[in-house]
Amino acid sequence: MRSFSEYNPIVIAVWFLSVTGIAMFCNYPLLMVISLVGAVAFFVMRNGLSHGKTHIFFWVLFLILALANPLVSHNGKTVLFVMNHNPVTLEATLYGLNSAAMIIGVLYWLRSFTQIMTSEKLLYITGALSPKLSLVLSMALRFVPLFGRQSAKINAAQTAMGLYRDDNIIDDIKGKSRVFSVMVTWALENGIITADSMEARGFGTGRRTQMRRFRFAAADIAFLLTELGLLGITCAAVGTKSLSFVFYPSITAKAPDMLGVLGLISYGLMILMPMILELVVNLKWKYLRSAV
Amino acid sequence: MEILAVSGLTFTYPQCAEPAVSNISFSIERGEFAVLCGATGSGKSTLLRMLKRELTPLGEKNGSVSFGGVELSQLPDRRSASAIGFVMQKPEQQVVTDKVWHELAFGLENLGTSPDEISRRIAEMASYFGIGDWYDRDVAELSGGQKQLLNLASILVMQPELLILDEPTAQLDPIAAADFISTLRRLCSDLSITIIMAEHRLEDVVPLCDKLLVMDKGQLIANSKPSEVISELKERPDILCGMPAAARLYAELSGSGSSPLTVREGRDFIEKGYNNTTRGLPQALYEHSDSAAMEFSDVFFRYSREGKDILDGLSFTVYEKEIFCILGGNGSGKTTALSAAAGLLKPYSGRIKVFGKRLKDYKNRSLYRECLAMLPQDVQTVFLKSTVHQELDECHADITELPYDISHLMDKHPYDLSGGEQQLTALAKVLASKPKLLLLDEPTKGLDAGAKLNIIGVLRKLKEKGVTVVIVTHDVEFAAVCADRCAMFFGGRIVSTGEPNEFFSRNSFYTTAVSRMTRGYYDNAVTIDDAVKLCSLNGRKEKPCS
Repeated sequence: MRSFSEYNPIVIAVWFLSVTGIAMFCNYPLLMVISLVGAVAFFVMRNGLSHGKTHIFFWVLFLILALANPLVSHNGKTVLFVMNHNPVTLEATLYGLNSAAMIIGVLYWLRSFTQIMTSEKLLYITGALSPKLSLVLSMALRFVPLFGRQSAKINAAQTAMGLYRDDNIIDDIKGKSRVFSVMVTWALENGIITADSMEARGFGTGRRTQMRRFRFAAADIAFLLTELGLLGITCAAVGTKSLSFVFYPSITAKAPDMLGVLGLISYGLMILMPMILELVVNLKWKYLRSAV
Repeated sequence: MEILAVSGLTFTYPQCAEPAVSNISFSIERGEFAVLCGATGSGKSTLLRMLKRELTPLGEKNGSVSFGGVELSQLPDRRSASAIGFVMQKPEQQVVTDKVWHELAFGLENLGTSPDEISRRIAEMASYFGIGDWYDRDVAELSGGQKQLLNLASILVMQPELLILDEPTAQLDPIAAADFISTLRRLCSDLSITIIMAEHRLEDVVPLCDKLLVMDKGQLIANSKPSEVISELKERPDILCGMPAAARLYAELSGSGSSPLTVREGRDFIEKGYNNTTRGLPQALYEHSDSAAMEFSDVFFRYSREGKDILDGLSFTVYEKEIFCILGGNGSGKTTALSAAAGLLKPYSGRIKVFGKRLKDYKNRSLYRECLAMLPQDVQTVFLKSTVHQELDECHADITELPYDISHLMDKHPYDLSGGEQQLTALAKVLASKPKLLLLDEPTKGLDAGAKLNIIGVLRKLKEKGVTVVIVTHDVEFAAVCADRCAMFFGGRIVSTGEPNEFFSRNSFYTTAVSRMTRGYYDNAVTIDDAVKLCSLNGRKEKPCS
């Protein structure tokens, strides 16, 4: 029994894409609330109460976004009050709240996405599209930190040799620029050897394959199918205007029809899927342990 | 059956008058372990690169190289890539991808092997090499020795029939190097992979190999069993200086019969051939000067708050005008100690004094002006310009004041120099600030025996000029020859100090081959010179014991 983050990266990526995609292309307030609450719950469930700074940053941003809209946009019929000869309307305020919920929700989803999708999983997905692209990414992932480490080494070496003669900024900048220029040479030199090593191991002799580190198990397929089914219903609801909501000039919302309700429920279920999975896994472990 | 046959091979680089390798013919049998040796610049690398089609340099080539009866240029691409494996010198630069498992898979992915097959072969290889523990790690986290093993493993997954290695252990410490070489031996005997390897560090490989090829100035001057090669080349001290201690001893004493190669054979050679009426040489008493050049007292250092102490109450004193060698295993904190001495790392407790003044009292980087200088392990990090001339101009170095000559290198790019030349050029740059205290981190790494001797000479001259030298090294033989005092570093502190003769004769593993060979028979013999003197002093046994 695997937890959600151990599922096949393609399944994970499709799930994140559909959850954030729907949130971005629909403006139905209830859907936004589901997305935001789900995103926060998902993040907290994975990280507990750590990452306080992230939370503060997101909620301050939420306030700024929510307040910015009514101050900038003066559309809408219902005037709440007048500020600096400009009307602040109810509709603009609600619209601001709604889009802030959408943006912060998506940001929370993306945060969880970057935590779950390690470089290796991204490589697996790009590799499925093109093995060459995946190789380039992998080399870049290796090279960037390598470059940093080497320049730190050169800096230390030059300091201990007395290259930085005086303890001032100008001398430091001069030194740094010299180091940078030699780093370019070093990178090229290094590149030649790496290229030799690649060619010696048969790079460019024909079509590349890609080693698969993640398999598609029955659970992956089941998860993917359920996810796609729910996505289909939600899309249908969003696409056929069953979930339409108009803010300007005045708020007009008809009660969602059958399809709309189904769409909302499917979206909610889709968001709950990994959390349910996590719960079941935890329960199973507890049961197994107590059985031992 | 021969797997590789080279006949009449001559190769000239573009715009060079002299061929880099000329008229070379030899063959290697399937399953043989051949070692190729020779001084830097003798054409070893060029020859090896001629044996791997993908790496063959541009230039004028004559003669033929055939692999398994087929001319090398006629091999299909994929067969040529997979059947001949090539491991290079620098562990870091051959690595292509960021993860260990991906690196292992890289070659097979290029060959278009099916994903299931890749997984199977990698699993097999990872188990054989014991890579399982670091299979999921980033390559950057591995040590040099692990990286080199990974390079080897990622070539072996392609199931090569011939493995070519170009000085694979040059950048490794002795323990990792011995590990690497024993892995090679195992491959050779378990899987009958044919191996041809160029090497400077011959102490470990010569006793293991089936065939020793010696190159000199582009020519192949010897090609037979190691003991025979040594008998043939007795008169060539320039080539023998890289050979195992036992073989050198045999040559210096112009012994007869087949040459000893290992410590055990060397011991036999001495005990059967020479008396031991005089057990030790008179020891010249070493007296250090009274003033200290560098003093560590109770220095503690760690890299992060949660980490463990790398320097754990380190205390030692280096006196003026001496050569002080710090020896110790990998990860014992030697390099960290040196960086702390150079003021690059700040210890959280303890005192470091240089010439009686505390490090932090050297204000405004005056420490690095005519006082202290450090040459790092990776000498390439010293170079910033595109010619040696510009390098030296930049730091106002005067090559006429150097105790050695590098005037012939002035117009070359520093990256194009050989390891020994790079070391000397970097040293010239470091000496430009006229340091009184010189810190060297592994100055013999990757150098051939000739270049090492050169460095020893240079260090002695510097000492005469009044420079104090502190060296951190793995190289026991080097320390035995050049140090005034040696220290053993372990667990973040120095556990013993002494003059080389008594220091090395007290150690039983961390000591020179000669010391191991003569232990219990002679006293305090540490270097080849000691042993040769003792043997000739005692004279041959009249009738060798049967």
